[in-house]
Amino acid sequence: MSYETIAVLMFSTFMLLLLTGQRVFGAIGFVAAAFALALWGEGAVEMPFASTITLINWYPMLTLPMFIYMGYMLSESGIAGDLYRMFHVWTGPMRGGLAVGTILLMVAISAMNGLSVAGMAIGATIAMPELLKRGYDKVMVTGVIQGGSTLGIMIPPSVVLVLYGMIARQPVGQLWLAGVGPGLLLAALFILYILIRCHLQPHLGPPLPLEERQQITWREKFRLLSAGILPLMIIFSMTGLFVMGVTSMVESSAVGAFAATLVAGYKGRITWHVMRETLRKSLAVSAMFMWIILAALAFGAVFDGLGAVKAIEVLFLEKWGLEPWQVLVLMQLTYIVMGTFLDDTAMLIIVAPLYVPLIIQLGFNPIWYGILYTITCQIAYITPPFGYNLFLMRAMAPKEVTLIDIYKSIIPFVLIMLVGLALVIAFPEIALWLPNHVYVK
Amino acid sequence: MSAPQMPRVVQAYVRYVDAVNRVLGSVVMYLALVMMALLLFASVTRYIFNVPFIWIIEMSQFLMAAYYILGGGYSMQLDAHVRMDVLYERWRPKTRAFMDSITASFLVFYLVVMVYGGTSSSAYSLKYNQTNYSAWAPPMAPIKIIMTVGIVLMLLQAIAIFFRDLAKVTGREFA
Repeated sequence: MSYETIAVLMFSTFMLLLLTGQRVFGAIGFVAAAFALALWGEGAVEMPFASTITLINWYPMLTLPMFIYMGYMLSESGIAGDLYRMFHVWTGPMRGGLAVGTILLMVAISAMNGLSVAGMAIGATIAMPELLKRGYDKVMVTGVIQGGSTLGIMIPPSVVLVLYGMIARQPVGQLWLAGVGPGLLLAALFILYILIRCHLQPHLGPPLPLEERQQITWREKFRLLSAGILPLMIIFSMTGLFVMGVTSMVESSAVGAFAATLVAGYKGRITWHVMRETLRKSLAVSAMFMWIILAALAFGAVFDGLGAVKAIEVLFLEKWGLEPWQVLVLMQLTYIVMGTFLDDTAMLIIVAPLYVPLIIQLGFNPIWYGILYTITCQIAYITPPFGYNLFLMRAMAPKEVTLIDIYKSIIPFVLIMLVGLALVIAFPEIALWLPNHVYVK
Repeated sequence: MSAPQMPRVVQAYVRYVDAVNRVLGSVVMYLALVMMALLLFASVTRYIFNVPFIWIIEMSQFLMAAYYILGGGYSMQLDAHVRMDVLYERWRPKTRAFMDSITASFLVFYLVVMVYGGTSSSAYSLKYNQTNYSAWAPPMAPIKIIMTVGIVLMLLQAIAIFFRDLAKVTGREFA
């Protein structure tokens, strides 16, 4: 059997197993272990276990449990509720203003956390009920929350960029800085879309009624601005100290987790019960991610043993004779298509090692490529049938929001992200200006 | 009228495995706080007192390995692991249990290979006093043994869940 056939066989077995509904890590792990044994016999029996050692030596991985814990702590702390209230009165009077406020809330949460689940949970529990109550279109609201929450993996800190950095051997600090421009660009595009759409179709996002606006005094409005102080302090203690070189990246995630705990304590939200539940959920979600990474690393190792890197290079450059930019576009397309069907974390670990060497060889900037990858990951997070944010949306959305609404709601946001992707491809400076001008270790 | 029961041995097995993993999980979940404290301590000593501790980061990594692997069984009990649910969520609970009881064999296969690899890798580390390739160079055997034990517990949990699914499929009960 040729190596290409084996590679295709591995992927198709993996897809088939996923369809049975078996846990993702089990499906990947089985394919990795079975193919390793079938290809290389008993000598390969340690291969799946060897990825635990790889993971131990990937020290930036420590940020993952810290950010997961921090996300839960932030949603317990109640600062998201205060922040929402602030945006509510300041942006509410505009058409579509509450949706704009929700995107701004998501940007703030994204700057405090490295995953998109925190924004998702906060958006679905705090912003969504308020917007629906104020007569916003449910499809619009669902899309705003799903699209907005994906900013969590682009605006620093970002766990996806940590993973990419380890696979591509690129400095994570530079990658995080490169995420700032594109993250804000996407947020601006989302806001622009909401404003234009609600201007044309005012029933989708009505402004706050006059009586409600008159009840809020200017004094109250300015008092609410203080809700921004605690988040800014968290962002400073985490990202600020890191960029200044005071803390290392891993330490900064621990500082952020600690700061979130302090804030929750200061607001009187921590009880033994809350603490235990937060730790329990953090363990469950950390174990979920780590086991997927573990299994995907084993899968990737088998792939590597097959010589897949060389095979892809030969296929793209020699057999098909593609130009460098065609290779780049093709890679993004395969990511987007595969990302909708496969688990995104697993996909990154399996596919990035195949693509990154080729990207570097073709003379593209690997930091910039990490950002392109992250945008496709954002798209994958919300596109059916497989997306983390999609799972959460289905679990958290109120009953009146149907599955069809959820699927329909993401269309404009996926299109906007594709525009964003095209812009970052056409103007790499959007991503690279900041890391080229600021240096962090 | 009472439904037929699962064999007593199976019931006892499931009860014990559930209990062990629940207790273990409820203990190792506090490791998140320990890791946080260690990393904070490292940043303070390094920046303020200019005393770097090279072992702290590595120690935290070992703790993290223990954290997610020893907590693995408990995370399975909490059903925290994502599945692709395009078809799965449309099935009736009994169909799901049926499918799970079949595909459990894939999971068990993977975990058995992991246990096998872990055992032989731990034995190697013990025999040759293998140390990690780093400045601190800690011995690797202890963490490997801890991870192998964790994977064994995960395997036992996967089998316990299989028994529960089997009970659902055959319409038997757990006392």
